[in-house]
Amino acid sequence: MSEAAMAVVKPEMKSYIWVQTVDGSLQQVEEEVAMFCPMICQERLQTGMGSSKNYAISLPQRVNPAIFGLILDYCRFHQAPGRSNKERKTFDEKFIRMDTKKLCELTSAADSLQLKPLVDLTSRALARIIEGKTPEEIREAFHLPDDLTEEEKLEPLRNMTDDPRIRLLNRLYARKRKELKERQKLKNVVVEEERVDDRSVDDLLSFINSVDGDTKGTKTSKNKKKNRRRKDHIKDPSSINTNENFNKGLNALPPLCHNGVANNVSEASTSNHLRMQNLATVSFSSKHEFVDGGDDDDLDPAMKEELDREVEDFARRLNSDWPERMQEILSLGQERRLVPISVNGNCSTQIYTGLDRR
Amino acid sequence: MKRGEQPQSPCLTDLQPDKLSCLPGHVIDQILSHLSIREAVRTSVLSSKWRYKWSTLPNLVFDNQCLPISSQDHSIIKNKLVRIIDHVLLLHSGAINKFKLSHRDLIGVIDIDRWTLYLTRRSIKELVLEIWKGHRYKIPSCLFTCQSLIHLELFNCWLKPPSTFIGFRNLKSLDLQHVTMDQDVFENLISNCPLLERLTLMNFDGLTHLNIDAPNLQFFDIGGKFEDVTFENTFHLAVVSIGLYLNLENEKNRWQGSSSNLLKFFVHLPHVRRLEVQSYFLKYLAVGVVPLKLPRPCVDLTYLSIRINFNDSKEISAALCLFRSSPNLQELEVLARTEEQQSTLGIQAYSREDEYWNCPVVQLQYVRMDGISGIKPELNFISFLLLYSPVLERMTVKPASSNGGSELMKELLRFRRASGLAEIIYLDP
Repeated sequence: MSEAAMAVVKPEMKSYIWVQTVDGSLQQVEEEVAMFCPMICQERLQTGMGSSKNYAISLPQRVNPAIFGLILDYCRFHQAPGRSNKERKTFDEKFIRMDTKKLCELTSAADSLQLKPLVDLTSRALARIIEGKTPEEIREAFHLPDDLTEEEKLEPLRNMTDDPRIRLLNRLYARKRKELKERQKLKNVVVEEERVDDRSVDDLLSFINSVDGDTKGTKTSKNKKKNRRRKDHIKDPSSINTNENFNKGLNALPPLCHNGVANNVSEASTSNHLRMQNLATVSFSSKHEFVDGGDDDDLDPAMKEELDREVEDFARRLNSDWPERMQEILSLGQERRLVPISVNGNCSTQIYTGLDRR
Repeated sequence: MKRGEQPQSPCLTDLQPDKLSCLPGHVIDQILSHLSIREAVRTSVLSSKWRYKWSTLPNLVFDNQCLPISSQDHSIIKNKLVRIIDHVLLLHSGAINKFKLSHRDLIGVIDIDRWTLYLTRRSIKELVLEIWKGHRYKIPSCLFTCQSLIHLELFNCWLKPPSTFIGFRNLKSLDLQHVTMDQDVFENLISNCPLLERLTLMNFDGLTHLNIDAPNLQFFDIGGKFEDVTFENTFHLAVVSIGLYLNLENEKNRWQGSSSNLLKFFVHLPHVRRLEVQSYFLKYLAVGVVPLKLPRPCVDLTYLSIRINFNDSKEISAALCLFRSSPNLQELEVLARTEEQQSTLGIQAYSREDEYWNCPVVQLQYVRMDGISGIKPELNFISFLLLYSPVLERMTVKPASSNGGSELMKELLRFRRASGLAEIIYLDP
């Protein structure tokens, strides 16, 4: 009799509850261990589930059997009373040693079971992995897709790290933007004049003449020509022979214009439809534009010169491998997602053409 | 009976699954919050999914870590820091729980006003502002309208709330260090924060009388120069640490014959559990007629730390009064005010030995003595403690200097001990 009574209080007589993982498999777990998870505890107490196979507690979708085993190990250790803080810490440090994939799964599972201390532990471990690594290393560690498009990558980057390369790149873009904005202004002036029909021809001619005087002359127009070509190309990737396009455009123009500025006006007309796009993208990208690019104005001239030199240098380095890139881009042009052509250098081709002063 | 859950979209790229990006937002926030703000924002270049994951960070901390370079040129630091904070605040989405600005090279700049206004509008709960260089920064009046604040921590600031200030309805914790504020501003602040539980006040200007009327106060830690401190309605106050950095020596005459500060102090502290009497505060408490015992014993007091001048018999009396009124005292720390013990101007040099009579410290287990020079009052004190603490386990004695160390040790060896378990540990100076 006393033997039986003893049997009841034997320490091996633990109570078990039934749980079911998302794949349908059932298992029995020690009650006191499983109850360490708030979600299981709540289920058990509120609904009384888990006492038999048919009424097993369904575990959340994010908990697979293997991970659940790990979680049970954790719970088994920590729910036992009388453990010192040092013991717990040592256990945690050993417990957390696993590959990143499993660590992420564990975090996810622990979160769905509302096991806050484990979520804390795993998120700290994940943070430690991320800390101090370059983006490539982090992508490597977590198998993140490197799917930011070229354009997005070339956007003025948030220079949180104060990386000098990023700074130079941003300055490059800023300069390009400035130059293009200036040219844009000239273009606008000319375009507006065209629209107003009732102005006398004389007025128009004199106005155009004075504009011509202010600009840098042929150099600017040469650059512009190149821009147009590239832009046309991107718009219509099928026609590789851009020269023809351009010439066609020229011929179609009314013979109103003064020879010297024929380029300007022709470009203006062909660029009409592109202008709106450009403006739109200028305002779009300025949202992301970090002041880093625009702070050149605050610097004193000496510093500015130095920076200009740096930028030139950087641009030259970029240029050196552009020919190969150009081929690449030409061949991939159709596959690439067409981003509204922006004037701030998002499009890689933009940089190339703008910098080609050689 | 499945729980309603957000369907997890499969994150598969090429061959390896990307498990990290699939984690729920609040978990990612938690992971990123263990990184510096700089590292957290850097994750925006990892992949398209990670572009804006950082923008829901609940706690924003801007300290020396967010700028990789340090420079003595303040304008460079200022420009970079201002730009960074502006951008982070502008791109941030979701609730901002905590904002901390604590860059060691930043002086108070007017941009802080703008950020404070923005944060006030975003219902910030914890604000920590530490201005490490330059003058006291005047806190903008918009902060005083922020009713969402639960914790406010200011360092090197000047508080001058507008006349329309009605207190912080939800404030539970206040930490002011190196601040300037007027007497009435302080009293107004304390009495209009009904939920205040923790108050830290270190090194303040403009305040001389501390009247603390805070019904929910549990933790009180001050250190500075003041003339008096009184409590009102502070029945929950459990941890008190007071340091008076002002030596009342010269004004002693003013205080002769006045009522006991010790009595006044403890009237409203029936439940104090930990008490630290630092710097010259024991001297302040010893003013007036020192009672033998407090009218109401401090039954909850388990830890006591005092800084004492052993040459001042009044201070010793005050200490003994405390012992007599703390039947459950378990841990005691006694620090000698060494600078005063060299001089014995007009103060009774030796305390009466019969004073120690009838002063049981029955529960005392641990004692720590620091700055002992080996003068007679000290030795009397130590001998008394050893003789009257039946459950003493450990006493640690650290001398002030190496002079006369062996003499002190000899004396310590001689003392009789009531507790058989008592260890006396002599530390090197």
